[in-house]
Amino acid sequence: MNRTARTRALITCLLLSGCYTAFSFRLVHLQVTQHGEYAARAADIHVKRQTIYARRGVIYDIHGESLAQNEPVRTVVADGTLINDREELADFLAHALKLPRAEVLEKLGREKFSQSRQKNIPDQYVILKKQVPEMLATELKDALAARKLRGVYFEQESTRVYPNGQMLCHVVGFVNGESVGVDGVERTMERFLRGHDGFRYTERDRTGKEIVPYRAQEKEARNGCNVRLTIDIGLQNIVEQELDAAIKQFRPKSATVILMRPQTGEILALANRPNFNLNVQENVPLDHRRNRALSDMVEPGSTFKIVTTAAALTERIVKSGTLIHCENGFMASAKLRDHHPYADLSVNDILVKSSNIGVAKLAIQLGDQKFYEYVRRFGFGERSAVNLPGEISGIVHPPHRWSKISITRMPMGHEVAATPLQIVTAMCAIANGGRLMMPQIVSEITDDQGRIVTSFPPQEVRRVASKEATDAVNEALQQVVGPKGTAQLARVAGFTVAGKTGTSQKLGADGRYGHDKYVVSFAGYMPAENPAFVGLVLLDEPQAKPGQTYGGLVAAPVFSRIGEKAARYLGLVPSPEEPAGSVMAGQNVRSR
Amino acid sequence: MSSNRRRHANAIPIASFASWGIVALCALGGGLGYVWCKNQLYTTGTEIRALERELSGLRNKNEVTLSKIAQLSSTATLNERFATGFIDLVPITNDVIAVVDDAAPKAAVGELRPASNEREEK
Repeated sequence: MNRTARTRALITCLLLSGCYTAFSFRLVHLQVTQHGEYAARAADIHVKRQTIYARRGVIYDIHGESLAQNEPVRTVVADGTLINDREELADFLAHALKLPRAEVLEKLGREKFSQSRQKNIPDQYVILKKQVPEMLATELKDALAARKLRGVYFEQESTRVYPNGQMLCHVVGFVNGESVGVDGVERTMERFLRGHDGFRYTERDRTGKEIVPYRAQEKEARNGCNVRLTIDIGLQNIVEQELDAAIKQFRPKSATVILMRPQTGEILALANRPNFNLNVQENVPLDHRRNRALSDMVEPGSTFKIVTTAAALTERIVKSGTLIHCENGFMASAKLRDHHPYADLSVNDILVKSSNIGVAKLAIQLGDQKFYEYVRRFGFGERSAVNLPGEISGIVHPPHRWSKISITRMPMGHEVAATPLQIVTAMCAIANGGRLMMPQIVSEITDDQGRIVTSFPPQEVRRVASKEATDAVNEALQQVVGPKGTAQLARVAGFTVAGKTGTSQKLGADGRYGHDKYVVSFAGYMPAENPAFVGLVLLDEPQAKPGQTYGGLVAAPVFSRIGEKAARYLGLVPSPEEPAGSVMAGQNVRSR
Repeated sequence: MSSNRRRHANAIPIASFASWGIVALCALGGGLGYVWCKNQLYTTGTEIRALERELSGLRNKNEVTLSKIAQLSSTATLNERFATGFIDLVPITNDVIAVVDDAAPKAAVGELRPASNEREEK
C-alpha cells in the first residue's frame, strides 16, 4: 500500500471512530443522563392510572326494601391527543349528547401547556357531559367504533337514587356531588357506605388502546357496606299517609310522628313535615331539610307528667291510690290552675284528669334535686346518641337556676324543652317496665357479600323507674284513653291503648305564653299489656276550631288511625276481652 | 498429491453443515416461538380486555335494572299507581276482617274436652 492510500485509510478510520464516538456519547447522554426525563415523558404519554370505582353501599329497610341505591352513569371525556377527525366527532357528539356544536368543537380543540414538552399540546382530559345514562353511553360507544372515530371515552360513575322520593327523607338523607353523605344515615354511616376506589396502572398504544400485558401495579376496589335500618317501610307508609291527612285537616306549621319498639328502642317509623324529595335537591328550603324529631325542641306539656308520676311512685313517696288535694282548681301559692276544679284526686287520677296542681304537688314532695335527677334519668337534657345527625340535647335547667315556681311548672312540661325523640323514648321506658333504651335507627351493616360487619344490638341506657311504678303509670295511661280520660279519641277498636296527651302554649316574641299558638301531642302505646310499638304524634300550631286545640282532639285521633292500621299491618290479635260494645263506642267517639 | 487425498480434501462437511443447520433451525424455531408467544400474549390480553369490558357492561346493566326494579316496586311508586288507578285494588276495611285467634290451649291433664276437638287417629 502506498503512502497516499494509507493516509486515506487512516483518515477514514479516524472519521468513522469520531462519528461512532459522537454517537456513543449521545447514546449515553440519552440513556443515562437524560433517562429520567425521557422515561417520564414516555410514561406521561403511554402510562395511565386507571381508577377502579367502588360502589357505594345500599340502604335497606328492615325487610330489605331499597331506600337508597346506585345507578351507573357515565361521564363523556375527550382526549385531544387521540382525536382523528375533530369536525366529524363534534358533529356526531353534538347530536348524540344534545349539546351545541360550537361548544363541543371548542372543547375538542382545547390545549394545555405540557411541562415535559415545554409547549401547548391538545388537552387529554376534557369533560364533555356528565351523568349520561348507561344505555345511551353503550350506544354511543358502539356508534363511535362503527364510524372509526377516536379520542372519546366514557368514565364510569354512579348517581344516588332514592326510590321512595319524599318518604323517609329526613332519615335516609342524601349525598353531595362527590357522593359524600351530607345528611341523615347517608352522613352518619358514611364510613361504612363509602367504598374505597382501587386503581390500575396501564400502558396504552398510540391509539389509546390498553396494552394488557403491560399492566402494572393494581389494587382492587372495595365496595361500600350495605346498611339495614330498623325502619319498617310498611309502618312508615302508614305514618306518612296519616300525617298527610292530618296536615290537610289541621294545616300545622310543622308535624312529627315517631313509632318506636319499646323493648329494643328500634325506631320503626319517623316522619316530619315539611319534607322534601330526595331525588330533587334544587331549591329545597333549609327549613324543609331539618329532621324536627331530633333538632327541634318543644315544651312537652302534659306528656311530661309521666316522668313526675313515675318518679314519685319509684321513690315510694306515694302509691297510685294516695289522695292528693288539688286545691279545687287553683293553687294560689304558685298561681297554678287546672282545667277543671278537683278537690282530692288519687295519683292515678292525676294522670287521668291531667291535673297540673296534683302533679306539681308530687314534684314538691319529691324535692328539687330528686325531681331534677329523675328528669335527667329519663333522658331529658342530653342527646340520645341515635345514629342520625343534628340531634340537640334540649333544655333542662339545673335546680340552682330555677325560679320559685319552677318546681310547679316543670312537672307539667313547662320550663323544659325536649325533642320529640326524647319524649317518645321516655314513653318507651314506661311501656317496657322502666328501662330507658337507646333509640336505634341502624340495625346492621353487611358487606357486599351479605356477611354481617357490625350489628347494633339493643342498648339499655339505665333503669329509670321501678316495675311497680311503671305498672301503675301504665294502668293510669290506659284510663287516659278510657271513657273518663282526656284521650278518648286515641282508642283503637279491639285493643287496649295507653297514652298521654300534651297541649302546651307557645312562647310569644315577648317571652310570654300566648293563647293562640299551641303545640299539641299524644304519646301512647298499644297493646297496653304487651306494647308492640310506642307512638308520638306532635303538631306545631295546628289550625283547629277555637277551643279545640288540644292534644286529645287533634293528635289523639291521628294516633288512633295510625294504631288501627299498624295493628293490622303487624298482625296484632285483637283482645278477646274487649267487648264489641266498647269497639262501637270507640268508633262513635271518633266520629264526634 | 494422490487422488485419494484430493478426494478427501474436497469433501463436503455434511456433519458440520447439519449441526449448524440444526442450530439455525433451533434459533429460528426459538425466535418464531418467541414471536408466537408474544403474539398470543397480546391476543389473550385483547381478549381479556374485551371480556372485562363485557363483564363491566353486564354489571352496569344489572345495576341499572336493579335500580329500575327498586324504583318501580318502591312503596312510593305503588302508592302513586294505586292513587292514579293503575293498580285497581280495593282497600280492606277492618269490619270485614275476621281475625283467627291462636289454637285452643293444650288441655290440662285429666280435663274433659268435647270429642269434636279430638284429633283423628290415622
